Amino acid sequence: MEFVSPEGLRLDGRRPMEMRQIRAEIGAVAKADGSAVFEMGNTKVIAAVYGPREVQNRTQQINDQALVRCEYSMANFSTGDRMRKPKGDRRSTEISLVIRQTMEACILTHLMPRSQIDIFVQVLQADGGTRSACINAATLALADAGIPMRDLVTSCSSGYLNSTPLLDLNYVEDSAGGPDVTVGFLPKVDKVTLLQMDSKLPIDIFENVMQLAIEGCKAIANYIREIMLENTKQLEYRRGI
Amino acid sequence: MREIELSLNQTQKIRLKRALEKLESLSSKANYNSNASVSISDSIPVNHEDGVLKGHGTLDLNGELVATLCGVVERVNKLVYVRALRARYKPEVGDIVVGRVSEVAQKRWRLDIHYSQDAVLMLSSMNLPDGIQRRRTALDELNMRSIFEENDVICAEVRGIQHDGLHLQARSQKYGKLERGQLLTVPPYLVRRRKQHFHHLEQYGVDLILGCNGFIWVGEHVEAKDDMVEDQVSKPEQQNIKSNKNSISLEEQEQTYTPIETRQSICRIANAVRVLSILGFNINIEVIMDTMNLSSSLNLDIHEMLGSEFCVLVAEGEAERRSLTKKKG
Amino acid sequence: MLHSKTFVKKTRGGKVNKQVREHYLRDDIYCGAPICKLCDSSAARLSPSASTILLLDTNVVLNQIDLLENPAIDDVVMLSVVLDEVKNKNMGVYNRVRALCSNSLRRFFVFANEHHKDTFVKEMAKESKNDRNDRAIRVAAQWYQSHLGGAARILLITNDKENKRKAIAEGISAETIESYVKSLDRPDLLDLVVQPSSEDVEMEEVEDLRPSKRKVIYTEHKPMSEITSGLHRGIYHQGKLRVNRYNPFEAYVGSESIGDEIIIYGRTNMNRAFDGDIVAVELLPQDQWHEEKSLSIADEEDEEEDVHLVPSSADDAPRTTNLVQGCSGDTNAVSSRPSGCVVGIIKRNWHSYCGSLEPMPLPAGSGGTAHALFVSKDRRIPKIRIHTRQLENLLDKRIIVAVDSWDRLSRYPSGHYVRTIGEIGDRDTESEVVLIENDINSRPFSSQVLACLPPLPWSVSSEDLANPVRQDLRDLRVFSVDPPGCKDIDDALHCTALPSGNFEVGVHIADVTNFVHPGSPLDDEASQRGTSVYLVERRIDMLPKPLTEDICSLRSDVERLAFSVIWEMTPEADIISTRYTKSVIKSCAALSYIEAQARMDDSRLMDPLTTDLRNMNVLAKKMRSRRIERGALTLASAEVKFQIDTETHDPLDIGMYQIREANQMVEEFMLAANVSVADKILKHFSLCSLLRRHPSPTREMLEPLLRTAAAVGLNLDVSSSKALAESLDRAVGDDPYFNKLIRILATRCMTQAVYFCSGDLSPPEYHHYGLAAPLYTHFTSPIRRYADVIVHRLLSASLGIYKLPSIFQDRSQLTSIADNLNYRHRNAQMASRASVELHTLIYFRKRPTDTEARVVKIRSNGFIVFVPKYVF
Repeated sequence: MEFVSPEGLRLDGRRPMEMRQIRAEIGAVAKADGSAVFEMGNTKVIAAVYGPREVQNRTQQINDQALVRCEYSMANFSTGDRMRKPKGDRRSTEISLVIRQTMEACILTHLMPRSQIDIFVQVLQADGGTRSACINAATLALADAGIPMRDLVTSCSSGYLNSTPLLDLNYVEDSAGGPDVTVGFLPKVDKVTLLQMDSKLPIDIFENVMQLAIEGCKAIANYIREIMLENTKQLEYRRGI
Repeated sequence: MREIELSLNQTQKIRLKRALEKLESLSSKANYNSNASVSISDSIPVNHEDGVLKGHGTLDLNGELVATLCGVVERVNKLVYVRALRARYKPEVGDIVVGRVSEVAQKRWRLDIHYSQDAVLMLSSMNLPDGIQRRRTALDELNMRSIFEENDVICAEVRGIQHDGLHLQARSQKYGKLERGQLLTVPPYLVRRRKQHFHHLEQYGVDLILGCNGFIWVGEHVEAKDDMVEDQVSKPEQQNIKSNKNSISLEEQEQTYTPIETRQSICRIANAVRVLSILGFNINIEVIMDTMNLSSSLNLDIHEMLGSEFCVLVAEGEAERRSLTKKKG
Repeated sequence: MLHSKTFVKKTRGGKVNKQVREHYLRDDIYCGAPICKLCDSSAARLSPSASTILLLDTNVVLNQIDLLENPAIDDVVMLSVVLDEVKNKNMGVYNRVRALCSNSLRRFFVFANEHHKDTFVKEMAKESKNDRNDRAIRVAAQWYQSHLGGAARILLITNDKENKRKAIAEGISAETIESYVKSLDRPDLLDLVVQPSSEDVEMEEVEDLRPSKRKVIYTEHKPMSEITSGLHRGIYHQGKLRVNRYNPFEAYVGSESIGDEIIIYGRTNMNRAFDGDIVAVELLPQDQWHEEKSLSIADEEDEEEDVHLVPSSADDAPRTTNLVQGCSGDTNAVSSRPSGCVVGIIKRNWHSYCGSLEPMPLPAGSGGTAHALFVSKDRRIPKIRIHTRQLENLLDKRIIVAVDSWDRLSRYPSGHYVRTIGEIGDRDTESEVVLIENDINSRPFSSQVLACLPPLPWSVSSEDLANPVRQDLRDLRVFSVDPPGCKDIDDALHCTALPSGNFEVGVHIADVTNFVHPGSPLDDEASQRGTSVYLVERRIDMLPKPLTEDICSLRSDVERLAFSVIWEMTPEADIISTRYTKSVIKSCAALSYIEAQARMDDSRLMDPLTTDLRNMNVLAKKMRSRRIERGALTLASAEVKFQIDTETHDPLDIGMYQIREANQMVEEFMLAANVSVADKILKHFSLCSLLRRHPSPTREMLEPLLRTAAAVGLNLDVSSSKALAESLDRAVGDDPYFNKLIRILATRCMTQAVYFCSGDLSPPEYHHYGLAAPLYTHFTSPIRRYADVIVHRLLSASLGIYKLPSIFQDRSQLTSIADNLNYRHRNAQMASRASVELHTLIYFRKRPTDTEARVVKIRSNGFIVFVPKYVF
């Protein structure tokens, strides 16, 4: 299958190094402490953060830091076929864990001892790269909830098809079975907090592909930063003195 | 970008936008550090030679001061901190808060005050209904539920943070259980600390408590009673009421009946708070009263206050008000 | 830069499934004309002086690809919408168009109109997909027109009347392909133009001329939807149609759903299917199964009488019927097999065919167009009707013809002339035909490929010697044994007696991978060619000549780089240890089999080389007997040797190839090296090794052999390879050739050994039946087989010498390489065989001979004989 035409266009008309259009919106869930919607092309994800709040199950309470929990789910209407998926299937559990670990790594949990932070992410539309979109949405929601973080975590995927590194795979490219690298990245500290890959790649190509994903993360970070700054300014001037 | 979630028609949209833009220009002129907004991982420019005290929301990253929150950089002498906007309540000693009882435990009540943990109100930091200062007995402990039950709304004061969490106290008649009214929750940053958080709106017969934690109480006015004798007399009665709540006599219902006008006022004030919270405006007694009066002068029904038209009007009014105060200043 | 447009794209599958895809529209897609001032012209492909720029309709591309490949057609803009449609309809044409677009000599530019913000068109309500695409083409044409602002004429070429009418109405100049070619004033091109086959055009015109042709000859193909549902319900069976080589009116469809082959008798039942087509077959009622054959022939004859042809039509050319006698013998034998008829064709396997025109008198007024019947060299292909203007030139030529269509009103498919190869009967022409038929690339190597060669004259450099991975084995007494006149020597041997009484035996293979680097044009070319092809009079190399005959060839008395497998063996030929290393060797003698044999046989010779030879021979014999003990088969294939006239390259004499002990000796060590290497690479790369397997034949496959054997009263045991080997050994008749014949038959029954990627199969399937080895690969002939090059790379990676090239990570790519190798390998064998056949024919053309022969098989339409003397 030809994923990149000899003219250098992908199936959806992007060039290999181009991301899909991204859009973010803070504050989509009224009752949550922080919430956000993040879109990468047709992938759309909503995240809601509750907390820091009293730990629900006292036995899980940690005395010197906050407990972070995450639940990932996919709306039944998010894919083309309306399959009723049981809650807590293996894939969801895995992604929940991945998001939790990624976010926990950058939340300053020691500042909120004996409390709990719940992150709920739900995929509203799935078109590849849901994992990345979830992490980006969660970052925004956490920032909205005013939870102190070491750095912004952003995530982006990249792949390698037709001997070309491709940024931000969509569903068709994702399901081609080629290597698919998902990177979670801290732009300020310049560190990778998440790295996943399906299938195999030789190390030198892998580095290129990963670097491409990191560039994608940086671009997303810039966008997210702007959104957050604009949001803060709005809140501040609306409140008045 | 946090959008205001209202269904607006085209002209309303434009009006709201204009009003918000006006507010923006006002605040950017007014605020000397309007560009002090930071987002997570932005570096905060500081002069290290002067010596810097790192405050909340900051982190030292390889010698660089970096924000860990989205908010506004504040500098007080050497202290540099980031004031987060949308965040849970950060208690300070002496804050007046409104909370809801989430649990009755050993010698204490746990209260949800929108803090990262439940606050603790010890039985011992509570004035007993009989008003006598004495050691709390086991009997008092058993009767705790007769004072506050789960889900009761309580007003109290922040006493301080101890090893086992945040402690409250309610050693005055003005604190205690709140009844016959509405509890509203707004983001805490909208409520500024002031001298006065208890307001008695005489013309409406309504009490308004602006809790620093963003919990706002609007309820029927209750006379602060400090005559213990009367209390003592009524004590068995009260207990009686407590014990068989369901069988309140008609007579008593009559006695405790809140007049319809008062109820309407409560709702009107509550809706005024709601509108301000939707718009994200600072919530204080003056603004609430202005909003209240605006709605009355427009002869709006209470429910219409939550409509989009009124929101736009409030926004425009706020813009007007602020520009006036600005000119005065 | 990005404009997003999301739309519902397709519904398909059992359930209706709404799919949403993003579609970005861009403003950075350039027009490709260097005269354009607005666009970035760095990637422009069109010529700067182009006066006319052509835009092609999908159907024009699909049908006229042969014409497009002619250099007369240039300055073409291919729209991406056209390419997509072509890709969906015919992958073969798509690949050819893509090749045109990337050919730097041709001016074909691909314009991604579907992603350009000005030329994207949205599907309108009630508009069919085709109409939308036609509109997209017109919009793109219009865009070009206004974009270039009259600097060049934009000409839309379409054969669709409606599209043309609309285009002209919209102010685009449009022409049909015929009128455009006519305007070029090149009559020779006109033959390449495919005549429109759509019934509405042709049939109306022809109707009054040939009323009889209105008769429907073939039943209509079922629509695709019906076929898929029929396949689901098990009424129809899908499979590849294979036409009997000896009887073009008989075909088989191997169906997985039945698990047996379905026989299809007669052209009517075949219903316009070609050899290699994927077809849907419906079974006939069982009572028709055994009668079918005679019936179908009767049908065929009936029809022939029915057809009344008008003179000057090609169909009345004398017709040779090779379905003369009815059948007798094997009808009963096949009566139990199901027979069926084709109801639809799922995928066509049409390509171009080599052949000649059926002899026919020149029609009056030559120079005009004439219909002619083309007879393919491949007997399985029906005659093809073509349309030509140069009949007199083509009559005695070998030509290539492509098939365009076959509608149910015509007896023969219609096609068009592609090109001429040469005179019929000319040796070069016929060799060329052999190559073309087997898809063998005999073009000289391109300059990019040659640029990858090391500078000549080449010799082992000091760096090579200093390289720590390369062992210096120049002091060893290495020699090579090959057929006489062999120039591409890729293997050499040595054998040293160790003080312990054991022997050190080494197999040294030319180190081709030292020169062929992965990913280089040279490597790509070699992987495409896959193997060298040996024809009787020439050799078509996989690698360029300097590599094949000099740099890699392990010639005597020169230092050469090698990849060595060195064993320590006991005198009983048990391998104690195996060592693999890159090395430098210096061969001391390049012997031929005959010389080697002579040395071994000459007991007077006691020189060290001869001793080595004898030692090796002893070891080899032991290894061989052990192998046979395990059940390896000694199969025979008819190998022929020609003596060729050095001047004319005509064959002078034919004889059977003689196998000597020396051959077997060399073979034995090569096998052992291959097995050792297979072990090693599989241990390191269990998922991406390239191995060779030979599947065990099923009983059904051996059925013909058993039947033949039973006919002469011989009982063969085929339960295992060992049993078969033993019963083959016992099968000695009174005829000296009998055993050989049986072995040849056995060979023909077996499936061919194939290359595969180890990750694709499970270990028990790795088995090599013929050699009775659990693992086998090809390592010993990297000069002439690409598989060996791959194995060399795997081996050196397993030794840590080189990194494994990235291609091995991609299993699907590796599988496709293995498939290509199998395909090339098979084609190379077929070509060699065809070449032998050809030369045999040339030989007999001048010498009618009487000789004894043996009947091998009797068929309904003739019999097949084996002539031992000429192995034919």
